[in-house]
Amino acid sequence: MDAFFNQLPQQLVNGLTLGAVYALIALGYSMVYGILQLLNFAHGDVYMIGAFVGYGVLTVLAPRSGLLLPVWAIIPIMLLVAMLLSGLLGILIEWFAYRPLRNAPRIAPLISALGVSFFIQNAVLLTLSASYRTVRTEALLSPRLGIDLGPARISAVRILVIATAIVLMFALDHLVRRTRLGRSMRAVAIDREAAAMMGVDVDRVIVTTFFIGSALAGAAGVLIGLAFTQVWHLMGFTAGLKGFTAAVVGGIGNIPGAMLGGLLLGLAESQAVGFISPTNNDQNPIVVLVLVLLVRPTGLLGARIQQKV
Amino acid sequence: MSLDKIGQDEWVEQRNARAAQRGPLARALARLEQANPLLVAGVLLLLAALVPLTTSNDYIIRVAGNVCLFGLLALGLNVVVGYAGLLDLGYVAFYGIGGYGYAMLSSSQFGLHLPAWISIPLVVAVAALFGLLLGLPSLRLTGDYLAIVSLGFGQIFVLLANSMDKVNLPWSEAPLNLTGGPNGITDLDPIHIFGMRLTSVTHYFYLLLLALALIWLVLHHINSSRVGRAWRAIREDTLAAETMGIPVRRLKLLAFAIGAGVAGLSGSIYTAWQTAVFPSNFDVTLLITLYAMVVLGGAGSQLGAIAGALLLSVIPELLRGPDTARLLFSGGIVAMTLLLTRPRWRGAALLAAVLVFGLLVKLVLGALLPDLLGAPAQPASAGLAGLAQRWLVFPQNPTLVGNIAFVLVIGLLMLVSRVHAPRLRFGLLLPTLYLLAFVWETRLAAEPSVTRLLFFGAILVLLMTYRPHGLFGKPRVEVV
Repeated sequence: MDAFFNQLPQQLVNGLTLGAVYALIALGYSMVYGILQLLNFAHGDVYMIGAFVGYGVLTVLAPRSGLLLPVWAIIPIMLLVAMLLSGLLGILIEWFAYRPLRNAPRIAPLISALGVSFFIQNAVLLTLSASYRTVRTEALLSPRLGIDLGPARISAVRILVIATAIVLMFALDHLVRRTRLGRSMRAVAIDREAAAMMGVDVDRVIVTTFFIGSALAGAAGVLIGLAFTQVWHLMGFTAGLKGFTAAVVGGIGNIPGAMLGGLLLGLAESQAVGFISPTNNDQNPIVVLVLVLLVRPTGLLGARIQQKV
Repeated sequence: MSLDKIGQDEWVEQRNARAAQRGPLARALARLEQANPLLVAGVLLLLAALVPLTTSNDYIIRVAGNVCLFGLLALGLNVVVGYAGLLDLGYVAFYGIGGYGYAMLSSSQFGLHLPAWISIPLVVAVAALFGLLLGLPSLRLTGDYLAIVSLGFGQIFVLLANSMDKVNLPWSEAPLNLTGGPNGITDLDPIHIFGMRLTSVTHYFYLLLLALALIWLVLHHINSSRVGRAWRAIREDTLAAETMGIPVRRLKLLAFAIGAGVAGLSGSIYTAWQTAVFPSNFDVTLLITLYAMVVLGGAGSQLGAIAGALLLSVIPELLRGPDTARLLFSGGIVAMTLLLTRPRWRGAALLAAVLVFGLLVKLVLGALLPDLLGAPAQPASAGLAGLAQRWLVFPQNPTLVGNIAFVLVIGLLMLVSRVHAPRLRFGLLLPTLYLLAFVWETRLAAEPSVTRLLFFGAILVLLMTYRPHGLFGKPRVEVV
């Protein structure tokens, strides 16, 4: 029991870090589902590409000989470039794999999404090989930097991850609640046809939603790369599944729900890692998912679905 | 379009007229669809049964056995996805339950050496039970949630199989080795039935063929009965089906159970054949492969499932030898170009233009930047292949340039598919086709296993966007 309480703060910190990243991924899923009623299986792979882009930028700007730019410049550049490229990738995927299937039976875009996800994973395997890439975070932030809060130690990297995630989530919330674009997005999510009749350019809103969701996933990829230093072609699959679960647990289509779901899942995973077994934590998200869905089939904050006849 | 007879439908007349205008391939497929499915199945199975008599090459018989195995799995998946319209992404877990079940019952793992005629039906029943269990929470969930939960189930199965080699029991000291962990369970008993001991590839091929024939027949009968009609109703519009009095819950569970049972049967025969089972046999790659087979053949059509299984088992085998692979690939590109362009001479002109373009590229690069060029990694000497290699340029650093070309080709292909202006299309297709051949030689041919997976992923996307009903399925219209 003592061990539990001693480890709790550290596991909480770990949980917050993971939770912040899962929330970013879950937001992308939720937004796309809210607008298109489509589960974008390829989202996890956009996250993976973001991580690789971040790794690439870091390798260019921080070679072994020394940093080419100061640290406070490199990290935002990594994030911006990764977010931009991931966003563009998301737009490309939507244009090619989902737009022709807007009016197809629901199962068609799901299968297409599966195919896209698999294709991207193997394209990265072909071009970049299966070896794990190591992000040299220590070149940017010394591992000794950090704050001690009692028995817990928050390293600088984790502070960066949590802070960036919070900033991005605030930015998204501002966008969705207080801008015209956000209003259009909410309108399209509620009723696509009515929004079109009200003068909203639905195609543009969908493209923008994909861009924003994928950019968030790209940012999440960079952050995870910095925090856990490992980047490889299959990381998108597990993270995608967890981001999924987070979005569904929080109520899919619901932005605060995605944030809550991400946080819960991160905390659940870190507790399990700390106390049950470090190797066996992959099934916990699924268990959490099934339990939550059995009790509340539309997620914690999800709207009650009424079937319209 | 004559309307002399009362009751004759104008739309049906128009449809027949449209059908008569289609190309020869479409007409042949349509005639195949209208033939008695049992007859078609019987002919195919008979032809398949003759395969071991025509060759003594064990490799070919093993491939044929794999085709039968995948055919079985595809038939089972077809029941869940095609007939009932439920997106079950945890299907491979039932295959695994079948495999591990047989491994636990008929091996030295627990000292049980149950004969196959006891263990296999038991395993099938257990797999069907698990199918039921997975189906139960799915009843409350809509299709999208079912996808995630079933995917999670599939992942949990692999995780459990990997980690349950040291299960701590409260009543014993030593941990229980349930699944053998990542090393799996080996040394399984081969199948003994009717006094015969099945050991060779040919034996298992015939067993799989027999199982395939049986399951095909049984599923065909189920599908032509009330159950099949009810499944179709559920697939098209669940709410309307429920309104019509169809017991939707029971039928969904039945679909899950039957699909799982078929997968369990396949799993048990497969592990008996391999005499070993490993968790890595049941990963997501297999799931995507199965989905590609069912989607390619046409969800909802048994002949389609078998056709998909046949095509996607045989083609990757043909891709193993670099020469046959190159032939298949370029032959496929040429055939598609000629088939998809109307009038045909435009396609031929395009191919000729690509050849000229390639020669020009080689001349220009050879004259201006000869240092960049090198030699092919796998020189092919024989006629056509050698010509093809001499036509292409090979950079000094094939991996890097090939990778860049690969990304470019994907972008170009996506662009070409959405551009319709004929001249622009022609102009874009020229470098695209050339780069395709280039990428094949430098990257894709060098890594056939990854190429196969790329191919499957691409099939899923392309089929859904261009021909969602696959080869033999019926086109569905979503009534919004």
